[in-house]
Amino acid sequence: MLLTSLLLIPFLGTLALLLWPGNPTPSRLRQITIGILAVQLAFSLATALAFDPAQVGLQLREQHSWLPGIGLDYALGVDGLSLPLVLINGALTLVSAVITRDISQRPRLYFAMLLLISGAVNGAFLADNLLLFFLFYELELIPLWLLISVWGGVNRAYAATKFLIFTAASGMLILGAFLGLALLTGQVDFSLTPVLSDRLAMGGQLWLLGALLIGFGIKIPLVPLHNWLPDAHTQASTPVSVLLAGVLLKLGTYGLLRFGLQLFPEAWERLAPALAIWAAVSVLYGSLAAIAQTDMKRMVAYSSVGHMGYVLLAAAANTPVSLLGAVFQMVSHGLISALLFLLVGIVYRKTGTRDLEVLRGLLNPERGLPLTGSLMTVAVMASAGLPGMAGFISEFLVFRGSITAFPLATLLSMVGSGLTAVYFLLLVNRAFFGRLAITPPSGDAVADARLDVQLAPVAPRETIPALALAAGVVLIGVWPHSLGRISEVATTALATLTTGSGGLG
Amino acid sequence: MPIIPADLVHANLSIDQEEVKRRLLASETLLTDSADHLLEVVGILESYGEVLDAYSINLIYQAEHQFLNPIPIFKYLDGDLSLGKIWRHLNHDRINFEYAEYCQKAMFWHATGGMDAYLDSEAFAENCRRIIAAKRRRDPLLAVLAPLFPGFLPELIRSAATTHALGQFWRVMSDLFLDLAAAERDGRVRDIPGVVAFIKDGLVAAAANPIHYGVTIGGEHFWVLPPEAGLTFLVDVAVPYVEAVFLRGMPFLGTVSFNAQAQQISPDQARFTYGALYADPLPSMGAGIPPSLLMQDMYRHLPPKLHQWYLQRTRGEGDVRVKICMSFQKSMFCVTNAAINGTMPHPLNSSDPAAQAANGAHAQAWAERLGIARTDCLAA
Repeated sequence: MLLTSLLLIPFLGTLALLLWPGNPTPSRLRQITIGILAVQLAFSLATALAFDPAQVGLQLREQHSWLPGIGLDYALGVDGLSLPLVLINGALTLVSAVITRDISQRPRLYFAMLLLISGAVNGAFLADNLLLFFLFYELELIPLWLLISVWGGVNRAYAATKFLIFTAASGMLILGAFLGLALLTGQVDFSLTPVLSDRLAMGGQLWLLGALLIGFGIKIPLVPLHNWLPDAHTQASTPVSVLLAGVLLKLGTYGLLRFGLQLFPEAWERLAPALAIWAAVSVLYGSLAAIAQTDMKRMVAYSSVGHMGYVLLAAAANTPVSLLGAVFQMVSHGLISALLFLLVGIVYRKTGTRDLEVLRGLLNPERGLPLTGSLMTVAVMASAGLPGMAGFISEFLVFRGSITAFPLATLLSMVGSGLTAVYFLLLVNRAFFGRLAITPPSGDAVADARLDVQLAPVAPRETIPALALAAGVVLIGVWPHSLGRISEVATTALATLTTGSGGLG
Repeated sequence: MPIIPADLVHANLSIDQEEVKRRLLASETLLTDSADHLLEVVGILESYGEVLDAYSINLIYQAEHQFLNPIPIFKYLDGDLSLGKIWRHLNHDRINFEYAEYCQKAMFWHATGGMDAYLDSEAFAENCRRIIAAKRRRDPLLAVLAPLFPGFLPELIRSAATTHALGQFWRVMSDLFLDLAAAERDGRVRDIPGVVAFIKDGLVAAAANPIHYGVTIGGEHFWVLPPEAGLTFLVDVAVPYVEAVFLRGMPFLGTVSFNAQAQQISPDQARFTYGALYADPLPSMGAGIPPSLLMQDMYRHLPPKLHQWYLQRTRGEGDVRVKICMSFQKSMFCVTNAAINGTMPHPLNSSDPAAQAANGAHAQAWAERLGIARTDCLAA
């Protein structure tokens, strides 16, 4: 029942919010949502406590026949691959609700959608049935589309439609691959059976895996399927960006490992060299595009494109170390990108702009945003992979695990890691160092220095979620074993299962 | 281009040198007259008066009791070596005398006016020889230092002379600013023109006060700045002080811009514009003594009314030092305004063309320097 409760809590919460009697104020609805999500996080932690890290395979399984006619079983389970992501989902949806402010338009729907997404994501991570996964994968689509198109920025309709078209295509490809697997193998129970693809010829496997790669590649997103992401982030409100970057992109990488790698190991091995190059291209393209951005949020969005490439590289290498690195990268990117988006959101709320050609000196202790700036520096250091932070552990494991399998692609990805430092130092240098200003320079240094900037101070409650995320980033950085012990068995089993190799590299 | 909410920025309200000159010749105050400005200027000058009182006492103590002490460890304690005083000092529960020293060093280094001319004279060198001869007989360290570094002790005496003179200057200014606050409370000063006139009258009244300084060594009195040098308050100390502290200053972090390697600092120190009238109230996150320490000192003595006024603005207590600095700049423009008016060669209402031309040249010279200062603070 533990896993079912992770679905019931948010789904019943959604219903409760929608049916709540009277006309509750937005802040009341927010409190209720925070309460529900706190309970969900507590149950996620309880799942982690009940989880046995030493055991191979899915645990805490729950299985009920649902619609046997179409092969849809209600089958849930959790392993070292999905548990960290369930925890991240629990934490980041709570953060999203906490940082939501000033929702005057349809607050009831807003918070209900937040809960619905959280439940759907839990369902996708816990699903032990292909169709059930697909159901939840699609279920988070509509709430997210609503969150962007109703509560987004000026061009929200464009961004939301683009998101919808891309991810709908992603869903169709994934469903097509699942159906194809069932029809070609004749096993229509849609269970997660790793050896299923053995029954297929290599050509068939490659087609099905190709469809999954493109489907999940859109969600991750990988270059050149990334086009929807920067627009979606730019138009989404801060809490939605936190969810999108921190949790929803992970559905793509999780799907890649769980269904791409696990269901089609032979085809995966065949495509692995190409996937590694694809990963390197994605990393380099994302990083170079990030350098060119002047909107802080677009820069962080492109950095996501780059950093998700590491997960593909690790999956392509398919060694125990690299797959562990992939899990670490999913978790650390979830925390770091959520932190970055949260801080960019604070800057935007206080200054009215995210333009790096306009913002200056925000680290100023007297009238700037010193704590926000300091946390941004921490986030940037973590993202660039400095030791002592989560980013270092994940990047090191990915590179260490991949270098022997794909030295060139790994080296190119390492360059991308260096480029992260380039664009994020540009961000910090432009927006946070120098004399405080939030207007474009006029060319007259003396006149520019005369503008009297009046920024409202950042209240402690606005930075508490950011402090919590930063603490998580440092905790994983200095105590990686906390996460490693959960996932190591599962990632080693996955690598052994698919390649027969068990050793390092 | 992003849309920046209008309430987040203020427009550039600077005035150019033509406007500065016009206001000076039209008997208008540089600072716009308003009730808020009156509250800010009088309040900040009152707290500055309290701080200057402490600075003045300490500078005079240093010049008289730490005289020719090469290692003046207890120079900020005013002779009180009790444990409580030392603890408060180490705990930084104290006035930042470093700012007073910064001003002294600025005056000493820029070296303008009659006092500096006297410090380079043969008469002063003779005073130094007698003082050093008397002192080295009693102090073995000085007996060693004097022959080894013949320029060292005379330079310490010059520095002590500037220190004492600045202490005397601030004694007058402290009383003047506290009197101004009392006058405003009594209703004798009701607006900014009244403030400028009050300060000008105070400066003019003290203009001819003699500046002299002597020390006692082994019961014998020695003049460092003797009465016969003829040094007076206004031209020999006040004007060099304004030149060194209000106008030139020294490049430190927090001024508009400085970078010696990029040739941004003029090689001609007469063209420096790092003084109080040019300084950026918003620190650029750098270390450095002024002006932040002065703002801390004034914060300790803020009149409650002005403190309340600050609390209602921008970040309340969060950026109070920036607000103090902005008010301080306004009040320093009033003091400068009073000094310019007080040194105007002829009455402004004179109909004599020659007098008008002389006044015009005086106003023009000041306008050229103030036209590039932070005149944005002058608007209402």
